Amino acid sequence: MSTDILRQLKKTLIFSGLSDDALAEVAQKATTRRLSKNDVLMKKGEVGDSLFLIHQGWVKIVTVDSKGDELIINKCGPGETIGEMALLDQGRRSATVIALEDAQVLELKNDVFEKILNQRPDVSLSIIRSYSDRLRFSTTYIERAIDWAQKIAEGDYSFVDQTQPTNQTASDDDKATQLLSAFFTMVNRVKEREDGLKQQLEKLSFEIDQARRKQEFEEITSTEFYAQLKEQAKALRQKRHQD
Amino acid sequence: MKGKIVSIHSFRGGTGKSNTTANLAALVAMAGKRVGVVDTDIQSPGIHVLFGLDENKMGKTMNDFLHGKATIREIGFSIGENTGGADGRAKLAGKDLWLFPSSIRGREISQILKEGIDFNLLNEGLQSTIKEFDLDYLFIDTHPGLNEETLLSIATSDILIIILRPDNQDLQGTSVTVDIARSLDVPNLVLMVNKALPKYDFVELRKEIASKFHAPVAGILPLSFDLADNASNDLFSLRFPDHDWSKALREVAQAILVIE
Ligand SMILES: Nc1ncnc2c1ncn2[C@@H]1O[C@H](COP(=O)(O)OP(=O)(O)OP(=O)(O)O)[C@@H](O)[C@H]1O
Ligand SMILES: [Mg+2]
Repeated sequence: MSTDILRQLKKTLIFSGLSDDALAEVAQKATTRRLSKNDVLMKKGEVGDSLFLIHQGWVKIVTVDSKGDELIINKCGPGETIGEMALLDQGRRSATVIALEDAQVLELKNDVFEKILNQRPDVSLSIIRSYSDRLRFSTTYIERAIDWAQKIAEGDYSFVDQTQPTNQTASDDDKATQLLSAFFTMVNRVKEREDGLKQQLEKLSFEIDQARRKQEFEEITSTEFYAQLKEQAKALRQKRHQD
Repeated sequence: MKGKIVSIHSFRGGTGKSNTTANLAALVAMAGKRVGVVDTDIQSPGIHVLFGLDENKMGKTMNDFLHGKATIREIGFSIGENTGGADGRAKLAGKDLWLFPSSIRGREISQILKEGIDFNLLNEGLQSTIKEFDLDYLFIDTHPGLNEETLLSIATSDILIIILRPDNQDLQGTSVTVDIARSLDVPNLVLMVNKALPKYDFVELRKEIASKFHAPVAGILPLSFDLADNASNDLFSLRFPDHDWSKALREVAQAILVIE
């Protein structure tokens, strides 16, 4: 097993805390799979029971949009892992993965993995640790995201300038960072759209017909009634002023 | 000066005068002032509905007073002591707010229209209302347009609030009303826009209208279905204080309260 593969495995969430010798044992149990262009590695909705580490070549992660067209969500290449959670929970695959070219992936099956866990309590322990680290990390981000979402609802975008996502280049398997970055992209889009809308507000243009205005004023003020009222009002205001 | 007469007027009908008058009076009363509301819209009185005054329970009215058939004491209906069941009005309990209703009885209406109201009579009536109830403000809800009755209430007011909708017809009509108010030496002229479509830029609208008429715009109140839905028998601004319409109206109330 090349050290290259070991280094890549160590970057995954599950294996990040493993010692080198434990990692070597895990890697040993993995099998290599060759894919030709357009081979399907996994299908959306299938129960997943293995993790893949891409060794060579590129794959695309796709889903189908509401019109039935293929939608590429992401592309993955050498060193990246796919479906690591399936090792533990055997959930359904959330997307389909198809080879973009001839590729080589390392597959670690769930049953093989479980055997290792049974034999090596140290491996189990380190895996539990890395999960709890991640959980704590995610919770902090979720709390902050809730706080920000509330601010957005109130139309307060000030936090965007104060808190840029810290590290855009963080490893790709870092889902919390990805979420955060997506969140900020969304906020910026919403803000842009809102600013745009504000600019689209219409201006009321009106013109007063001054000739008509003058004519109507004269019609009202030229009456006997008005002349008398004006006198009375004037007297009244003077009287009130004196009081 | 104590005992200011505040007339609410608009060139055309249905601009929201009655709703504005009732809610403004309520907001000013909530601020601790002694407030009266007179309905001089003798042709189509309606403000009593907003204060929950049942027409059948209405005793003597402004019409009786103007004809010397009743004292002003008999006419004042205390809202603070009769808030009724509505949520908004309930907040007025114990406040100093009185309504002086106009008659809704057909015969009496036509009688007063035929005879016409005398300026001095109306004025003495308003002044004794202010004195008797020791009022800080007396709000007058008027009939739209520039007929003789409305000219009387414009002439007698210390503060005139002209309500307009942001459309060409209202703006044209308002220009004449503004000229009349100046010709009658009304000391304080304030504009208020109601039923403004949200598509307009309110800040621009305010600037534009203020500069066209050389008069302050105390508030721009949005067109609102909530208001159309809920306004008929309660005081909207007290019931929904956080609504944009209510917020904008509080600005207007504030503008009234700061006038010396
Ligand atoms: N900003 C608003 N948005 C929606 N509806 C409104 C608004 N202001 C008032 N209205 C509605 O418009 C109608 C007329 O209001 P109101 O009776 O207060 O006007 P008015 O000027 O006193 O009418 P009139 O000239 O007939 O006396 C009412 O049904 C009221 O609920
Ligand atoms: Mg009315």
